[in-house]
This record gives sequence, C-alpha cells and structure tokens, in this order.
Amino acid sequence: MESIHPTPSETTPPINEPAEPIFSGKVQFSGKGGEFFGIWIVNILLSVITLGIYSAWAKVRTHRYFYGHTRIDGHSFDYLATPIQILKGRILAVVVFFIYTFSISFMPILGLFIALGFIFLMPWIINQGLRFNLRMTRHRNVRFAFKGSYGEAFVNFILLPIASIFTLYLLMPYVIKRIDSYIHSNISYGDKPLTVNLKGETYYLTALICFVVSSITMVVFMGILGLFGLNLVDIENQQNLENSAAMVMLPIFMMIAYVLMIAIVSAVWHAAIRNHIFDNSHFEGVATFKSELKPIPFAVLLLTNMLAIVFSLGLAYPWTKVRTSKMLADVTNVTIYPGALNLIDTAQEQQSSFAEEAANVFDIDLSIT
Amino acid sequence: MHVKGHFFPIVSSNYQVCVATISDTHIEVINDEHVIARHAISSLKLSSGMAGLADELNFEDGSRFIPQDVSYRWPFKENNDHVMERLEKSKWAILAAVIFTPLFMWLVLYKAVPAIAVYSVDTLPRNVVEQMGEQSFTLIKKIALDPSELPAEQQTKVQAHFTSMLNALSLDQSVYRLSFYKSDSFGANAFALPHGRIVVTDDLANLLADKPNALKAVLLHEMGHVVHQHSVRITAQSAASTIVLAVVFGDLEGVAEVALGTGASFAQQGFSRDMEREADSFALTQLESLGYSSNDFADAIEALQESHTSENGHLEKVNDLLEYLSSHPSAQERIDNARK
Repeated sequence: MESIHPTPSETTPPINEPAEPIFSGKVQFSGKGGEFFGIWIVNILLSVITLGIYSAWAKVRTHRYFYGHTRIDGHSFDYLATPIQILKGRILAVVVFFIYTFSISFMPILGLFIALGFIFLMPWIINQGLRFNLRMTRHRNVRFAFKGSYGEAFVNFILLPIASIFTLYLLMPYVIKRIDSYIHSNISYGDKPLTVNLKGETYYLTALICFVVSSITMVVFMGILGLFGLNLVDIENQQNLENSAAMVMLPIFMMIAYVLMIAIVSAVWHAAIRNHIFDNSHFEGVATFKSELKPIPFAVLLLTNMLAIVFSLGLAYPWTKVRTSKMLADVTNVTIYPGALNLIDTAQEQQSSFAEEAANVFDIDLSIT
Repeated sequence: MHVKGHFFPIVSSNYQVCVATISDTHIEVINDEHVIARHAISSLKLSSGMAGLADELNFEDGSRFIPQDVSYRWPFKENNDHVMERLEKSKWAILAAVIFTPLFMWLVLYKAVPAIAVYSVDTLPRNVVEQMGEQSFTLIKKIALDPSELPAEQQTKVQAHFTSMLNALSLDQSVYRLSFYKSDSFGANAFALPHGRIVVTDDLANLLADKPNALKAVLLHEMGHVVHQHSVRITAQSAASTIVLAVVFGDLEGVAEVALGTGASFAQQGFSRDMEREADSFALTQLESLGYSSNDFADAIEALQESHTSENGHLEKVNDLLEYLSSHPSAQERIDNARK
C-alpha cells in the first residue's frame, strides 16, 4: 500500500494541487429483489409473532443487507447498530408514544399541551437520530459522525419553518436549503468534516420548476376530463347530472391525477436537489461526489413502484426498494483521493438509539441520501 | 484452509490484501508470508451471514478480516450461527411467511385489538371518561357548534321527554344530559359524547317537531351509545390499534402504508357499524318497553334520510356504492330492521 503514497521528500506537490485520485467510478449496488424478499417477509412474520420485539433484529438485518450491498471501490458500507440498542430505544419510544396517544385520545386538551412540549424536544430528537445513524455507518473501517447543536437544529427545524408560514411559504425553499446545509455540513467521515456549499438559487429555481410542472399536469388532467364531457369548473351547475357512472369515476380520476402529480413533482425536486447536494459536497482530500439523477426516469421509477405495491398488495415492496437503490447507486459517481487511506476512526463513545427510535415511531423521516 | 480477503487494522482505513489460514483453534492472517494477526477462534464474536455478503470476522481488538468470496462461510460456525440466513433463504419459511403474516395481522387487528379495547374500557375510571368527554365537548363546541336558536318552550318540552325516559329506564340524570346547539356542519343530527352529554341540533329538533315519538327514538339511540360506552370503546380501539401498529410494524415501511392502512380503517368502520346496530337495537327494545312502537324509530330514520338526500340528491347512487365503506349501516337496513 505504501507505493500508492508518493513520499513527500521525492515529489513535493504544490500546495492546493489536488493529488491524483486513486479511484473514480460509480457506486455499486448488488442487492437482488428475490434475496431481499426472503429477508423482508421472514422478518415481518417473526416481528408479528413476537409482538414487535423481533422488529429490532429485522431492522438490523435489513440495514445490514442494504449497507453491505452498497459498494464504493469494492468496499461495502457496514451497519453497526446492535438489535439490543434498537430494542432499548424502541421500548422508550413506545412508552412515550403510548403516553402521547392516550393523552390525545382521552384528554385532548392536555394532549395538545404535550404536543406543544414535543416541539421543544424535536430538535434534540432529530440531532440524536442523525448522530446515531451516522455513527452506526462505517466504510473502509472508518465511521461517520454528526455534530449538530440543539440551537441550530431548533432554528432550522422549528423556527424557520414556522416563520415561512407567515411569508405564504415563500421562504420555504430557503428553509429547506438551510436544513440540508445543517444536516450535511455537520457530517464527518472519521476526522474529516464534509464541506458543503449549497446555493439558495438552486432551491428557488427547483421550486419554481416544480410549480410549473404541477400546473401543467393539472391543465393536462382538466383537458382529459373535458374530453370525457366533464367540466370541473362548471360542476355546480351540473347537479342534475344523470350520468352517475361519471360521478363515481371522478374521485378515481382525481386520485390518479393526484398520485401522478406527486410522483412527477417529487421526482423533479428530489433529482435536482440530490444532484445539487452531491455536486457541492466533498471530504477534503478524501472524496468528491457527482450525482446525475434524471427526473423523468426517476418519476417513472416512482410511479411503477407505487403501481407494483398497490397491485401486489404490498408484496412488491422489496423489489421496489432494491430497484430504487440500484438506480440511485447507478447515477452516483465517487472519486477517492489518497487521503482516504490515512483516515482514523474517531468515533468512540456509545450512543443511545432512543432519539432515532422516537423519530421512527413518530414517522419523521430525515433520510440523508 | 486458505481464504483470500482484506484485512483492516484497528480504526484505520488502510487495508491489506491477505490470506487467512484456520487451524482447529486459531486463525492467522498472513500478508507476504508474515503473520500480521493471530486470534483464538473461541474469542470471535460470531453473527449470522447475509445473502450475497461476505462473512466478515470482527476480532476482539477491533481489527477485521473480510473474505473476498461473498458466498464463503467459515467452517467453524455452527449451523445455528446461520439460522437467520437459512430461514431467509428457505422456500418453506418464505411460503409460510407469505401465508401467515396476513393471517396474524388480521388476528391482531380484528380480534386482539377490539378485545384490548373492551377490556381497557371496563377498567377506565369514571373521572377519566368525564374528562375525555368534557374536553372533546369543548373542542367540538369551538369548531362546529353555535348557541341554539330554538324557542325555550320547544327545548323544555324535549327536555321533559328526555327526563321522563331517563326515570323510566332508571338512568342517572347527572350522567345523561341533553343540550341543543345550532350547527351548520352537522345539519340535522344528534350525537352522544362518552361522558353522557347528548347533543341535538336545531335542524333535527325542527325536522322532528311534529313527530315527538320519532325524536324520542333518536334520543334513545344516543343513550344506547352512552350505555354501551361506544365512544370510549372506539377511542380505545383506535388508540390501541395505533400503538399496536407502531410497535409491531414500526419499522417495516411500505407494508404499514399499503396493507395495514386500509386494513385498519376497514376494521374501524366495521367496528363502528356494529356499534350503530347495537345502539339501534337498544333504542328499539326500550321503545317497546316504554310503550312506544319501533315504527317511531323507522320514521326518524326516514325523515333523516329524506333531509340528507334532498341536500345532495345526485350523490345518492354513489352513496349506495360506497355504503360498504361507511360508518353507519344503510338507512334501508335500519328501517327494515325497525319495521319487522
């Protein structure tokens, strides 16, 4: 391995000149739908018959499968959390969730106060969740870490989103940019922090494109309805509509249009923002990234995923998960520099998984990819 | 036995390409004929393999050896070390899971959760029910109710009927309380809160103004809900199913959304239809015992149905189709049941 490093005495590279990369290529994902189906369905059965206790083991198995099958330069990612860590966190989260559900059901006013209290707990929960997840992620024997503070999290996740309501959500793209910046710039790999440089313009431009795209979808949908002789704008004057079949079909059409629009808009947004984040983040001297996710293939993927899940009564879920991971890996390029060989794993102290579990059970998904 | 692979020293990203050799008791990691690590097999922490992934060894000191061949499994691991991997690959286990998972989900949601709900309702103290009712009442008043505009004498008359029925049925007057409110969102309607507060809207009182016995039938139906503690049961049921879903399926995204989301709400609807039938049969039995006719109940439902369908006539056919999904039994079924 020594031969890869030019010794400083022989070749002194000028300062700021990046070293020659030791690897440049796509992220590989080798998971298979059939394989994951077995893991998924067996784990669900075991979770159900153990009244949820096994779900901690199931989570670890699932994560190990996806992390292990994701490789950069032939090296896989590792998921390090133990089922007991997950189980402890889950028990705590369930107790809290139990209190919350019962107070909101049986004492709605008290419940509202408890919900208010959660607002102040939320930044801590988010931070702990990110910290735990990143610490439990390892690549080339070195762990990731997260070092966000409560104050910053409170501003980005609570204050700014509330403030954006008063600006008729015009502030929202900026808020999302702040959140993305906060999450990514606090990540480090070993002792190397991730350098992130996100631009507000990209978020506003993407939001504008999403708005235009959703408007076009609506207009096209109205046009199609018009072909079937239904006029949504004039619906009030069509009370005596004899055609009850059309009235039954209307909600179904609305639903299809809605699902279609959600898929297209979220694909456009996700593709543009993911590419922007990857292209503008790097671990100095260790790795740079490039993402080339295209909105149309991604929208097609999301739509076919939804259709497959609905028509298979959920059984196609493992297949959709695997093919999504495959597509995302396939559009992601990583360039690795010699610094990656000299990293030291700094993560030492133990971390509770409670916050992460609390985040899961309350359904707050803060995925970082 | 020689196994090719990568060796990662402690906390370092700098790996070496090595060969591992195993004897009966020890494993040695060799790089260029130098032994760089030697560990007792008994000191290894063994975990189950994973389909398509290398069976890596984590040594006590934090260093690791990762075999190059992803399908290689160490001979010193027993079969039960790989029990998870074997189950996940077994056709029989997968087939069993596909069959039994929906069965268990059905058992949990349709049998266990309602049973838990009924049990927890019986153990719930009276003042919790009182609190729950008062707080929901405060919220509903804020959101959907305005002060009644009914003439005082009309109110007193209905109150008198209400009180005499309570006395005849020996129900506690401090629990069963009747109030009138004007409400645009509810229309002609009546509802009961868990702690015994029964609300009749102005529209309903006016609709049944010249059919006092029909109004009594409606009041009895609402009393039936309170007697059988339906609101408490439905709340306990939905709280219990939320918690059960969160606990059992907390992490299994995807399933929760598709299979369970619909399943749980169908279960809920079925549950609430059963409750309506229970309240109906309470009303019918008590009507007979108080010397009225069950036809009065049928009259009330007919009047209600008429007032609701005249508002949105063209939706009637859709309603028939969607009846299966609704929270009440169909009006026709309830009328037939009363008239038989």
